[in-house]
Amino acid sequence: MKAARFDYQRPATVAAAVAALGGDHGAKPVAGGQSLGPMLNLRLARPSCLVDVAKIPELRRVEERADGVLYGAAITHAEFEDGAVPDPTPGFLARVAHGIAYRAVRNRGTVGGSLVHADPAADWPTTLTALGARVVLAGPQGTRELALEDFLLGAFSTALEEGEIVTGVFVPRCSAGARFGYRKSCRKVGEFAEAMCAVLADDGRGVHRLVIGATEGRHIVVTEAKAVLADPSRLDARLAAAGFDAEPATLRLHRKVIREAIAQIAIDALNSESLPA
Amino acid sequence: MIPIKLEVNGRVLEASVEPRTHLADFLREEMLLTATHLGCEHGVCGACTVLIDGAPARSCIAFPVMLDGARITTVEGLADDAVAGELREAFMDEHGLQCGFCTPGMLVMARDIVLRHPHADEDTIRHELAGNLCRCTGYVGIIRAIRKVAAEREGAVVTRGTALAPPAYASPLALPVSPARVAVEVAPVPLPAAAVAVEAVADDEPLRNPVEIRESFEVPAPRDAVWALFQSPEQVIACLPGARLTAPSDGRSLAAEMVVKLGPMQAAFGGTGLIIPNPADWSGTIDGRGVDARSATQVRARLAYRLVESADGAVTRVSVDVAYVLQGPLAQMSRGAIAREVAARLTQNFAANLAARIRGEAPAASAASLDAGALAWSLVKGWLARLFGRG
Repeated sequence: MKAARFDYQRPATVAAAVAALGGDHGAKPVAGGQSLGPMLNLRLARPSCLVDVAKIPELRRVEERADGVLYGAAITHAEFEDGAVPDPTPGFLARVAHGIAYRAVRNRGTVGGSLVHADPAADWPTTLTALGARVVLAGPQGTRELALEDFLLGAFSTALEEGEIVTGVFVPRCSAGARFGYRKSCRKVGEFAEAMCAVLADDGRGVHRLVIGATEGRHIVVTEAKAVLADPSRLDARLAAAGFDAEPATLRLHRKVIREAIAQIAIDALNSESLPA
Repeated sequence: MIPIKLEVNGRVLEASVEPRTHLADFLREEMLLTATHLGCEHGVCGACTVLIDGAPARSCIAFPVMLDGARITTVEGLADDAVAGELREAFMDEHGLQCGFCTPGMLVMARDIVLRHPHADEDTIRHELAGNLCRCTGYVGIIRAIRKVAAEREGAVVTRGTALAPPAYASPLALPVSPARVAVEVAPVPLPAAAVAVEAVADDEPLRNPVEIRESFEVPAPRDAVWALFQSPEQVIACLPGARLTAPSDGRSLAAEMVVKLGPMQAAFGGTGLIIPNPADWSGTIDGRGVDARSATQVRARLAYRLVESADGAVTRVSVDVAYVLQGPLAQMSRGAIAREVAARLTQNFAANLAARIRGEAPAASAASLDAGALAWSLVKGWLARLFGRG
């Protein structure tokens, strides 16, 4: 189908984008449009105006800092996959990006767009939460920063206020020996995952995090995950609380994916080559 | 209409575009570059894949208005490209196409695969090609063709941001239609009300592959009282959550509207129905068809009821069989268990309201439309999961 009518604006700065969104409550920001595009064509989304933020310089810059890297929100999945941007982790981001949808989608889709779309089964929300990333927001009240787990409130639901946009995401630097496990179960390559789990074990910084995605609502985030990594059955109560126990097959799938993600950490420790996600 | 500048197959052009026009339509309709095929038109099938600034992208969900200054290359633009030439040969040698509909997208994607992954093995090719669907299921030949070309290549190439040489020959037919479309400012047209024909006609066409739901319940009333209710369209409609008559009924045909909410989406089906009683065996059918004016989703449904008297005549067992077929955008979302669950809840509410009405109580849910509420998320998610995979 064809999209319904909408107006189009391409502001040159973040301030102008915020002003454009504030002036029209039916307006929606767009960058790669790889999730919004299908919804427009199916007329499930009918914004009055699209505010194109894909080329705003602030959303395209990458800033390397001592403690991590701040990525502009409009950096594409393909740029992560190709290593075209610096990576504060030992190759985890490229590995995650390689598993997102299809190359034709990765060439256009952006990291910020994936985070604001907030699908629990998408790759970036789960993996970047595991890496302890923070989002930078700009809105009428100025800018603010939120930990990703505080930004993602549930399925398709975020802490974005009216007129606010995500301008960037900050990924903390891992120590050289950090290990990352990421496993997802999809019926077909590029599909949304039916179960997913990302694990970060960074002994050098004393950071151990585990995030379960593909939930019906909010991600399950374990920030002090050392005990859970040693004994994944400690997660069973939380899986039950998330409603996974309603279907035995779903519960089994999630439990298996969690164990495989954790097992990757052990393999990762032996083998410096990271595994495909 | 917004002015943009684009380079298409090496030719720079200025055009005035409607923001909602997608790139595939622009290429096909304005440029007459019809090699780019539209399959699903929502970013799933990959048939419309073109190169934007050297990298493959779905042209059905890319909008020219957002591509100001970009370089677009379609299959026509790859006529003189050496790698595409090798792929064309290999596709022919390996029987890499049957009907040819997916082939333009396959060729654009295949070129990108062999450039980025020289010596790609079958697993890599299958992974990279997963976003391009071939309904002739000719993947084996396609993969063999790509593998053959990849085997000859040395050194990976990053395709993102690269420029391609334009083809030597450009068909005069593919010149931009000039002047490209006169700009006409059209005031937004209010959505038309659902078309309701009061005159319902008998519909003998059987429902194809309907979703079927069976409910049965008992009401503490004699059979003739229940029968009387089923002959009154006003009362039957009042038992359906979210439904109302839009015109007085003559007792046989009816015009009604029904609102169903599915989380962020709402459908208001307007349509007609026909009541056919069969007093001989205390049964009857109500056939209906309607359309949601907003999404153009069509629904056809048949409700068959049968009344069975209990031994002492004080209680009547009512069996209701509902069969329905949805066609259109909503149907794409509501295949599977979720739609079934919504429809089952509708049927259950109908049964409960009917029982309440016969007992002389006010039906609890008749005024409000059924809000699928908690079901909405799983529905949207299930649909999105099928629709497209995203990061």
